[in-house]
This record gives sequence, C-alpha cells and structure tokens, in this order.
Amino acid sequence: MTDEHDDHDEPWEGSAGDDAPDCDRVEEELRGAAAVLDPVPAELRELAVEAYALHDLDARIAELAFDSLVDALPVRGAVDVPRMLTFRAGELTVDVEVTEEGLLGQLLPPRQARIEVLSGPQAGASLTADALGRFTSDAPPAGPFALRLRTGGEVVVTEWLRA
Amino acid sequence: MDRADVGALVQSAVDGDGAAWKALVEGLSPLVWSVVRAHRLSDADAHEVYQTVWFRFAQHLGRIQEPQKAGSWLATTARHESLKVIKSLRRLTLTDDPQLLDRVSEDGTPEQSLLDAEEAAAESERVRRLWQEFEELGDRCRQLLRVLIASPPPSYQEVSAALGIAVGSIGPLRQRCLRRLRARLDKRGAL
Repeated sequence: MTDEHDDHDEPWEGSAGDDAPDCDRVEEELRGAAAVLDPVPAELRELAVEAYALHDLDARIAELAFDSLVDALPVRGAVDVPRMLTFRAGELTVDVEVTEEGLLGQLLPPRQARIEVLSGPQAGASLTADALGRFTSDAPPAGPFALRLRTGGEVVVTEWLRA
Repeated sequence: MDRADVGALVQSAVDGDGAAWKALVEGLSPLVWSVVRAHRLSDADAHEVYQTVWFRFAQHLGRIQEPQKAGSWLATTARHESLKVIKSLRRLTLTDDPQLLDRVSEDGTPEQSLLDAEEAAAESERVRRLWQEFEELGDRCRQLLRVLIASPPPSYQEVSAALGIAVGSIGPLRQRCLRRLRARLDKRGAL
C-alpha cells in the first residue's frame, strides 16, 4: 500500500489549504489517543531515570568503530553468523564477537583487565582479560550491553549497544 | 521541550543534578518512544532500543556537543538503533518470534480499564476508532504522525532527526497526512 495509491481513493486530498485549524484539532486528538493507548511504559520511564547512574565523566568511552550488522556484507547462505564489534578508545581496541554461545573478546594492544559486562545501571557479571588480552563469557549478552574495563589505572566503557 | 530548557537541564545533569536528569526523561522519553514505535518494532525490540538510547545518552552526557539539541541527539540515536533492529531481523528472518511477543508490556491495562468504565465507553470507542484509522494510514503518514504526536510535541528539528527527512518537508507532509486521516474519519462518521 503506497501513499500514491491512497490519493486515488480520497478526493479530499487536493482541496484548498484552509483547513489548518481542523488539522490541528485532529493532531491534538491523536496526541491524546497516543497518551492513552500507547504511552511510554512506566517501567521504561523508570529505567531511563535510573540510567543517570551510568553517567561517568571519568571513564573513557570506547566508540563503536565496526559493527558487522551494518558494515559487513551478508554472507550468502550463512546462518547464525556471529556479530563482530570493534570499539576504539585512543590506542586501545576492543574486539568482541557475540554468538549464541557467549562472548569472545580481545584487547589490543594485549593487556590484562578486569571487565564488567553491563546490561543496565545495575552491577554486571565480572570477567578477566588474560595477559594476552583475551576474555570469554559463556553468557551471551541480550538486549542493551556495554563492557566496563579497568586496566592500568583507567576505566574504559564501550559505547552502549543492543546485542 | 524548549531548546533553552533542554540545554540548561543537560548542563545541570552534567553537574550532578539528578532532578534535572529526571526532567529530561519526563520531557524527552515520549519522543524516544514515539520514534521507536514509528518504526513498528515488536514490543520486546522497542523496549531494548529505548533502553539502549537512554543508556547511551547517559554515557555521553557531558560530551554532547550541542546540549540544547539533546532532543535531536536522542531522536537520531533512536532512529539508527531502530533501523539496525529492522536490518538484523531481515537478515535473520526471525521476525515476530512468538515467545518474544509474549513478553509484550501490559502497560496499557490500567488506562484500558479506566476507559472501559461504563461512563467512558462512548469516548473510549471514539478514541479507539481514531487510533484504528491512524494505524491504517499509509506507512509514511503513520510514521510521521506517530513522531509528531509525542507529548510534549517535538520540534521539527527533532522530527527531522527522528525520521531522516528535511525540516522543510515536515509541514506540508503533516498537513497532507492529517487531511487524509480526517477524510477517513469523515467517511466513517467517526469524528
């Protein structure tokens, strides 16, 4: 169904533009209907309020530099391709692979780190990156997630993303 | 929300004022929700995108270049994340997983029961019919109007960021879509 098709059904479409007040009224009624029939769910509003705890001016943000979902060409016939993500904060690169089995990561240049897998404002599961910068988790992230890394006296957090 | 207010609230939130953050959520979460809904995501996906957007906003607080445009920042992020979901669904063709759909929110329920009270039955029916006609509009109109009817109403800059359309085209398109909706309602004698 396209807009163009609708035009043929509705001769009102071409009429003169002196109906602005009526349009405003319909918009207001619709706004009222949305507030009743499709409001922001209360628990989501609450989560957004609690998200204030995630603001941390001291942490460095590792920004998303590559997301296979957006940046990679789909492989023909391939199913269950892992999601490959690369985050960057200055010289530090965080490579992450998300599969149904879990999460596999690599810090470059290699370094040890304590890593927290966040899924919201609450504390998350803890992981450790070994001396070669490798880390794994057998719990695949679902929904929003971020990694908080403590390494060499600084804190780096990957950009929030939906797994 | 007024841009000057948004800018000031963002600054206060950066400085540690939790009430300012709460005011930002009150004022701008309906916009984020509208953008997500305009992209017709399932309830489960809509919830996750909404959360991701707010978590990222909190994370970037204090680093946002133009605090007075935080509404547009949120709208753009919501749009990008919504489009990513649509892309991943297309790739996996895992659309409408029934188990995911079972997780739908029950938030409509209290309002619903209010509406269903006997004295409000007629009004309820009218609102329902209006919503139904709106849902059946063409995709472009439904999408534009869903964002426009956020409460408080978004600015055209925010609508532009939410949908990736030029600011100048919003007014004429809005008029056209509302006129179309009115025509549908007239036809049904619903307004």
